Amino acid sequence: MAALSEWHGRLEETALAPVRRTGLRYWALVAFLLAVIGWGAYAYSVQLRDGLVVTGMRDRISWGLYIATFVFFIGISHAGTLISAILRVSQARWRTPVTRMAEFITVVALVCGASFVIIDLGRPDRVLNVFIYGRWQSPIIWDVLAITTYLTASITYLFVPMIPDLALFRDRLAGRTSRWRGWLYRVLAIGWNGSAAQRRSLASAIGVLMILIIPIAVSVHTVVSWIFAMTLRVPWNSALFGAFFVAGAIFSGIAILIIVMAILRRAYHLHEYVTEKHFVNLGFLMAAFAAIMIYANISELLVHGYKLEEGVEFHFRQIFLAEFAPLFWFYLLGGLVAPIVIALLPATRNIRGMVVASVLVTVAMWIERYVIVVTGLHVPLMPYEPASYAPTWVEWSLLAAGLALFALLITVFTKIFPIIAVWEVAEDHEAMVGAPGAARRAARPAALETQDV
Amino acid sequence: MNVITRRTIRTAIGFFAVGVLALALAGPAIASHIHVRATVPSEMTVGEMVRIPVALQEADGAPLRGTTVVFYLHAVFAGVTGEAEIGRAVTDENGVATLAYRPRLAGRHELRVEYVAPAEGEVEVVSTAFEVTGGEQLYRSAPGIDVPGLNVGLLMAVVTTVWSILLWVALRLVAISRAGSEVRTPGPSGAR
Repeated sequence: MAALSEWHGRLEETALAPVRRTGLRYWALVAFLLAVIGWGAYAYSVQLRDGLVVTGMRDRISWGLYIATFVFFIGISHAGTLISAILRVSQARWRTPVTRMAEFITVVALVCGASFVIIDLGRPDRVLNVFIYGRWQSPIIWDVLAITTYLTASITYLFVPMIPDLALFRDRLAGRTSRWRGWLYRVLAIGWNGSAAQRRSLASAIGVLMILIIPIAVSVHTVVSWIFAMTLRVPWNSALFGAFFVAGAIFSGIAILIIVMAILRRAYHLHEYVTEKHFVNLGFLMAAFAAIMIYANISELLVHGYKLEEGVEFHFRQIFLAEFAPLFWFYLLGGLVAPIVIALLPATRNIRGMVVASVLVTVAMWIERYVIVVTGLHVPLMPYEPASYAPTWVEWSLLAAGLALFALLITVFTKIFPIIAVWEVAEDHEAMVGAPGAARRAARPAALETQDV
Repeated sequence: MNVITRRTIRTAIGFFAVGVLALALAGPAIASHIHVRATVPSEMTVGEMVRIPVALQEADGAPLRGTTVVFYLHAVFAGVTGEAEIGRAVTDENGVATLAYRPRLAGRHELRVEYVAPAEGEVEVVSTAFEVTGGEQLYRSAPGIDVPGLNVGLLMAVVTTVWSILLWVALRLVAISRAGSEVRTPGPSGAR
């Protein structure tokens, strides 16, 4: 019993440590990220002043790096859904230490992704026209509707399981932190004290949310794919796009989760809770999705290539042999084949190997979105010379700023909110060590445990 | 003759010369032996089918039969300006070629009529203009297949269901908050 209590104390200390101590390196990182965002803000001001002519986009290739990045961010937002919701539904116990990070990624990625749609607008002041003049028949409206719902559900799904941990922060940091933090934890903990009535409400809310968020997440990336698939362009002419995009989203979501896990594990000394088992399990899941992606690619490319309808020959030439070939082959070999090899080989089946595989997947999946967007518009609709597209410094700067914003929000979140789901990890640990009453206390939040002791 | 009078005469001759030049350049190149009369309705509306008869007569008043007349409309599309052929007709026994035309845009329309007079071999041209009013939407996309129940109403029902569930979750949070305020005891709740 003493060992369990000591373990509990250690867990709480680990969760509270990022909030209690902030080193110089943290501020240096924040300053660097703010500088990158500042540079992006300058680039955006140039775009606002001079118009979209400062980008590489023109009338024929009117979507480029911004829309590719939007799809990329929406894709990685599926990290939270998969790890937290699907694994929660399937009662995979190993998920508990990483769920909170996954849910952070979801919310932050959605915010960053949505901002790229605004950036892509030449006149952001006209964004409300989507609602004023929108039509229910338009996939753009479906997209706005799905992403808004997903963002709301994701924030709720991040917040609800965090309530007991926020109460823990409220109580442990009372009088030992700044006033605004104390006020924030008090407000967000919404009076949690671990009573039976509260536990029942919390359990039912989590139970409903974890079911609800899965179809919402699937619908979001399906609708994103329809923006392309419902446009009359030869390379996007596919009924498989919805499933293809959802699989790709989960695939890239797992990769980014592994990277974030590795960084936070190292930065906040989470070695006891985020172990090699988590990386390897997620690596296996990533390899499984790589296999699904390979299957989807073969099915898609073989069917289109066999029929070789008008325009497909041009498309195949550009992705396999011509200007997009290096990117596309990197995506196929580096982003799909290599992660499977890394996960299967015992020598690379470790944290380092999984992080390398995840970096490959993340880069490859961004490239995949770029190739889908640009090559789709590159195929000429009429017998004229194909247009060309190359992102300008403004677009690269805004991409860098978007990635920096993603990193900054995660960094700031880790300093304010509990990065580990303390009560879930504790519950999982108790069940594992077979502590007396562990089964009875299933789903009992840590704050309640502390009250009982 | 004083200076003012001479200047006035020079100015008048200048205007006359410019007028003649303008007529020579912009006016229809009508062969002197052919009389052309294009009858354009005084009012036209977008989408309304109108008939534009063009009568060709020889100098002696005899109708010019069996002559092909080509009708062009001055058009600007995607930054390109030119004459778009909108129809052709052959003159009947009265020397009349009639174009059936449905204007698709409001505004001023410049119609150009071309024909080759018998035994001449050169294209002769006459132009006219007319105003079209109205703004009816002419293009109608195909209605598709109407599957009963599969419409915006269904989409609304799905969206409403999802948001109702989210509202229910929000009510759970209110319940948690209320339960906390009811059971709250003095001192930090849940503290060890």
